[in-house]
Amino acid sequence: MDGFALRVAVVVLAFALPSWIVLSLLVVLGRVRYERIRREPTTALSSRETERLIRRMSRRPKTEWGKWRRVAALARLEQAHHPAVPRLVRAVLADPDPRIAAAAIRTLGDIGDEWAIDLLISELRTGGPRSRIAAELERLAPAPGRKLVRLLRDWNPTVRFWGATLLGPYPDLGESSLIALTWDPDPNVRAAAVETLGSRSGAAVGAATLACLDDSEWFVRVHAARAAGHVLGAAAAPTITRLLADERWWVRTAAKDSLRAVGTDAVPSLLSMLTHSDPFARNGAAEVLQDIGFVDFLALDDPSSPLLERIYAAGGEKLREAAETRAQGMPERRVEAA
Amino acid sequence: MTGDVLGAIVLVCLGYLLLTNLTYAALVVVSIVENAVRRHETASQDYEGLATSRFTIPVSVIVAAYDEESAIVSGVDSLLSLEYPEFEVIVVNDGSTDETLDRLREAFALEPYQVFVRRVFATAEVRCIYRSSNHPNLVVVDKENGGKSDALNAGLNVARFRYVCGVDADTVFERDALLKGMRRVVEDPARIVGLTSHLGIAEDPERTMAAPKGKRPIDGRPLIAYQHLDYLRAFFINRLAWSRLGFMLCSVGAFQIWRRDVLEEVGGYAEGFTCEDIELTFRVHERFLREGRDYEIHCLPDTVGTTEGPGTIPKLVSQRERWQRVIDETVWHYRKMWFNPRYRSVGLVGVPFYLVTEVLAPAFELLAIVLFPLAVALGVFDPVVFGVMVAAIAFMNAALTASAIFLEDLQSRTYRTRDLARLLVLAPLDLVLYRPIIVWARLKGSWRFLRGDKAWHKFERNVRAPA
Repeated sequence: MDGFALRVAVVVLAFALPSWIVLSLLVVLGRVRYERIRREPTTALSSRETERLIRRMSRRPKTEWGKWRRVAALARLEQAHHPAVPRLVRAVLADPDPRIAAAAIRTLGDIGDEWAIDLLISELRTGGPRSRIAAELERLAPAPGRKLVRLLRDWNPTVRFWGATLLGPYPDLGESSLIALTWDPDPNVRAAAVETLGSRSGAAVGAATLACLDDSEWFVRVHAARAAGHVLGAAAAPTITRLLADERWWVRTAAKDSLRAVGTDAVPSLLSMLTHSDPFARNGAAEVLQDIGFVDFLALDDPSSPLLERIYAAGGEKLREAAETRAQGMPERRVEAA
Repeated sequence: MTGDVLGAIVLVCLGYLLLTNLTYAALVVVSIVENAVRRHETASQDYEGLATSRFTIPVSVIVAAYDEESAIVSGVDSLLSLEYPEFEVIVVNDGSTDETLDRLREAFALEPYQVFVRRVFATAEVRCIYRSSNHPNLVVVDKENGGKSDALNAGLNVARFRYVCGVDADTVFERDALLKGMRRVVEDPARIVGLTSHLGIAEDPERTMAAPKGKRPIDGRPLIAYQHLDYLRAFFINRLAWSRLGFMLCSVGAFQIWRRDVLEEVGGYAEGFTCEDIELTFRVHERFLREGRDYEIHCLPDTVGTTEGPGTIPKLVSQRERWQRVIDETVWHYRKMWFNPRYRSVGLVGVPFYLVTEVLAPAFELLAIVLFPLAVALGVFDPVVFGVMVAAIAFMNAALTASAIFLEDLQSRTYRTRDLARLLVLAPLDLVLYRPIIVWARLKGSWRFLRGDKAWHKFERNVRAPA
């Protein structure tokens, strides 16, 4: 038994000990090399290295590892501004693995030239990793600008969705198309269109956002609630307040967010909801009145006000307790501030 | 006769050790591939762009805090400093008996508000919800004590965003922790339902994290250093390889990103188990595989933060026995998955792997510790043979540990070179200095599992330097 156990142990030790030594050396020497490279970074490529990288790029790797080595080669060539990059990036972009294609998209974003933008937009149409493409196009703003408007008329709803989303930072572009898209058959497109319209102004835009508050899809109503508040402010408050009684929680939440942003101008509409038959609507109205400071104002100014009692009745005992606790601390804070 | 039986048992134990270590060696090869792929992916990422992009997905970060007065402020501070376009931090004070809530109130100027939340999960009563006057994205939920799962469920009720990230209150995070985690999710939010990432360990995480990356110290005390090695092995040998092989079975409680709708679908964090993290990961796998749905749960090699490690042996034993118990509870609870082809690689490889290397390990370890010296004393084994066997096991462990250190450093370049060298030297001594403590804790945990004990036995926090 001794002999067998010893043979096994010796074999294991013969592998394990050198492995431990080699790996330890790899850690320490690898780290030293890394520190040296970090201290003296080089961007220029020697002709031999360039040849090696181009060779690697021209091969068709079968393994994931090989694909990533190809991506690394592309990044290195791009860093050195090699003229072959536009040709090579197309090859990586065509990779069926979206993570590999995403790396090429990042390279295109780094390049940022006219042809790179065109290629990104063309990929957005043909179906690359669209959120990554969108992120790069947004990073390149305002350059892609007018080219994005064309996406709003694409046959593919996904492309229209991204077109509408990407127009967010361009308040002067595509307004009429975006308004038209709030009637798109695809709800995702309607949601994106109304979200983008939320960063604009004007009567037509306002009317479009208000119309979307009655959309049949809840997530369109979510975006519409936020957009209407931004575009119309207090004028939209009565309509948005209605959404506090929406059947969907997330719509009610969006309505609350929007009314908070409108601020004290929303008070009259909110007060009208305090006696609503839906408890969610009553709670929501009381919560927003609390969040915009109206409850605190009443609690300090006129603690026995019937209006305050109505709000407490709508918001429940915890709302009262919280308001009273805050009110107790307020004079102290004023003194501290003074 | 007795000698033959003893010798046979010792050989079985040796065979077990050899088999598990060979499995780990195979996993290292898989981890090397996974690490390389993730490293290339990281290099091709535009983190600056991601940090300001509208196209990242907002995240609700949930911290369950029970008696965390010493760590809570720095932990929350590190969360509020995260670089991420849109996130909220929800701290759930789970009926702490110390000054956790007061510390939070003072540090973040909390004020009580009535917030109407969705009650998706039933939880212990919420006493009050606080908002911060100076951090609009901070919400503190003060509730009756109900356990960590109950607290996390209360946080889920308050969470507004599509992804949630459960974290521990004693962990200090890198500023780009969420970016690192979510970059993988953003690529495929329809399929990636859960994700975790590597965490470092220290006695005082704030002190470690105060040093710049690349120059971070690793605690000099051997007890903490060995725990650091344990974490490295767990992440870089096990989880990384599991992730590649499609059976990532433990999204760690200190940093676990989940898609909220998935948590709602599976019923949130379960309360019938000693800890919540492993069980939840098993449950999600079980549900998705049973229904034949396409999904992924990942572990990333990026170091996203540093968590507090027990500073004394009793504290360490208390923590590890709890971990062993929850592993036993979970593997037993999901026994229908064992070797079940319906659960694909999770049922055929992942859960059996857990069964062999975690659940049964304490029994083999106990046998080995008792019988090896006995066999030598009775003359079944020559002391020299025994010595060579111990050396072989120690260096096999050391080689595995060195590969974990190598992979971590290649990915994150976090720690000082001299500290890494010290870890490499400590590695072969793990078997005699650290492993016996863990074996004892695992035995204790297994015993308590058999007795049906489900108490938390939280370890008392280390004393930290003032912030």
